Amino acid sequence: MEPLVEVEGLTKRFPIHRGLLQRTVGHVHAVEDVTFSIRRGETLGLVGESGCGKSTTARLILKLLEATEGTIRFEGRDITRLSAREMRPLRRELQMVFQDPYSSLNPRQTVGQIVGTPFAIHGIEGSTRSKVQDLMERVGLNPEHYNRYPHEFSGGQRQRIGVARALALSPKLIVCDEPVSALDVSIQAQILNLLLSLQHDFALTYLFISHDLGVVRHVSDRIAVMYLGRIVEIGDAGDVYGVPKHPYTAALLSAVPTGEAGGEMKRERIILSGDVPSPVDPPPGCAFHPRCPKARLVTGSPDEVPENCRTEIPPLRNSGGRQQAACWYPLRPDDELQRVVSHEPRGS
Amino acid sequence: MPDGEVLLDVSGLSVRFPTSDGVVNAVDDLSFQVRRGETFGIVGESGSGKSVTNLALLGLLNRRAANIEGTALFKGRDLLTMPPGELRRIRGKEIAMIFQDPFACLHPMYRVGDQLVEAIRAHERVPRRQAAERAIEVLAAVGIPKPRERFRDYPHQYSGGMRQRAMIAMALLLNPDVLIADEPTTALDVTVQAQILELIDRVKKEFDIAVVLITHDLGVVAEVAQTVMVMYAGRAMEQGPRQQVFGKPLHPYTWGLLESIPHVDQKVSRLVPIEGAPPSLIFVPPGCPFHPRCPHRFGPCDQKRPEFRDRGGGHAEACHLSADEKRTLWAERQERFTRAAV
Repeated sequence: MEPLVEVEGLTKRFPIHRGLLQRTVGHVHAVEDVTFSIRRGETLGLVGESGCGKSTTARLILKLLEATEGTIRFEGRDITRLSAREMRPLRRELQMVFQDPYSSLNPRQTVGQIVGTPFAIHGIEGSTRSKVQDLMERVGLNPEHYNRYPHEFSGGQRQRIGVARALALSPKLIVCDEPVSALDVSIQAQILNLLLSLQHDFALTYLFISHDLGVVRHVSDRIAVMYLGRIVEIGDAGDVYGVPKHPYTAALLSAVPTGEAGGEMKRERIILSGDVPSPVDPPPGCAFHPRCPKARLVTGSPDEVPENCRTEIPPLRNSGGRQQAACWYPLRPDDELQRVVSHEPRGS
Repeated sequence: MPDGEVLLDVSGLSVRFPTSDGVVNAVDDLSFQVRRGETFGIVGESGSGKSVTNLALLGLLNRRAANIEGTALFKGRDLLTMPPGELRRIRGKEIAMIFQDPFACLHPMYRVGDQLVEAIRAHERVPRRQAAERAIEVLAAVGIPKPRERFRDYPHQYSGGMRQRAMIAMALLLNPDVLIADEPTTALDVTVQAQILELIDRVKKEFDIAVVLITHDLGVVAEVAQTVMVMYAGRAMEQGPRQQVFGKPLHPYTWGLLESIPHVDQKVSRLVPIEGAPPSLIFVPPGCPFHPRCPHRFGPCDQKRPEFRDRGGGHAEACHLSADEKRTLWAERQERFTRAAV
């Protein structure tokens, strides 16, 4: 079956203007050469730290931003260079759920107006009110609250309004950009369960973005890990989390506090030194090499990394496991770094 | 139980804010002790009263707007009734604090070093040069590379993680006894969060202090705290040693929290959310504040407020269910949870 979305060599650079003449003095390399596809009915999780380009990637796919290079195909059709007018019929198929349920709903509109607007824009016939109330019921809101304003709802309920709006036109792809990050933990699970049951009922495809690795694991069939604008590892959720191939994935997973240390911080953990470098001037070669613990194991010195890590960009390729990783020295099953993160499943 | 000396002894702390809509019961009858050498974790969702507790202890609430009751003894002196001048000498020196947002806590137009020197000289009469030397030493201790050069940088030249390190350095300058950290890693990325948690744990040991860690992240508390207090609607629901609270939780709210969080290392087919939403603090449900969302509620839950009692080994909680009923219910829930694992 053909994938729903195919992205090839996707690149986005934002120019930096300086001075009186607003000359371009450099670029923010937000997304660099990203290639992946999303199959129908699956959830692709996109994880990474802030500034790694995951939200930019989502916005490029939805054509809220214009790609600098590369192609985006939706149902086999190249949509990369479509104009806003040409995109309009396609908008029905591509929807988005935003992070902040406070700022993404117009405070001056009622729920009925918010969820009903897509029907008006696309000139859908029939009673908008009954359609909106069906949707409200489906996402777990009381349909009688049709005339209420967003401020009368709690954070979790507002996010349900956002979901209902995204669902209104029966889209094929929903991009969820940090949909539960602004919610309390006891509410997060409600929204995650809602998204999963909607996916099941309406055969939806999700691109799910989050910085919370546990949340992504829970909802995703496949996972792509991004670092400084590039995908460093992509594959089935179980493979990427269970036997990570890229040292960055391993470090990211080991950094998540799970409580297994027993209050003593004793758990083996890969602590990365330093911070994510600036995307204005990404390091040459593998962007992760200045922080990479594996490269230092290879050379056996804390100050040295192998030459190809510094000079050549590693391609995303199959390296032993089922997933693909962009690394010259991918982790092997007996690797010290991989042992740190592969746990025995608990409770069994 | 950690056996260091008791540094903070809070008893019957209540904070109420009278507003035109009614009285907001932000904190209701809270009691706990923090000992030297331990990390005391306070965990709760937004609006559970964890930050207000912290602000009340530090005298950072406007006493005209807030109605504060109870006592909070720090080395035998009550922080809540102390004159402002005396409190000012303790705050920042003996009790230091770090906050969530390291961006907002440093003045953008002064050099980081000058801000550190100012913090020292606000409490001690030392020459500027000597204060600077001490500041550079502490910057090095919290892992700022090239501290002598970084001392002269402005906050915008620091990354998020380094700013939080600088804040920790500022907190440690005057050798405090207690460090209160309110969501210290929430604004940080996960790899940087790991660095900062490790740092807080290290300074706790090196400086032999007590840390009060306030967070909404159960994973963080479970990772670094020795004693944990779970708060809901301004009250303590459960409190005890980490192994007890996470290993053998006693309160249905704690159960709900633990079951609703997706894990990195285990996939379950379906999360079990806590139904409903946290209550308004103006209209806190009578009896147990959690009863409208509790699947195990029965007779007395909506009438009588459950007593917060020690059930042995310093593991206290507030729930009407008997110990036997709880053991059975938790075993059933765990059984269901394990079956849901895929």
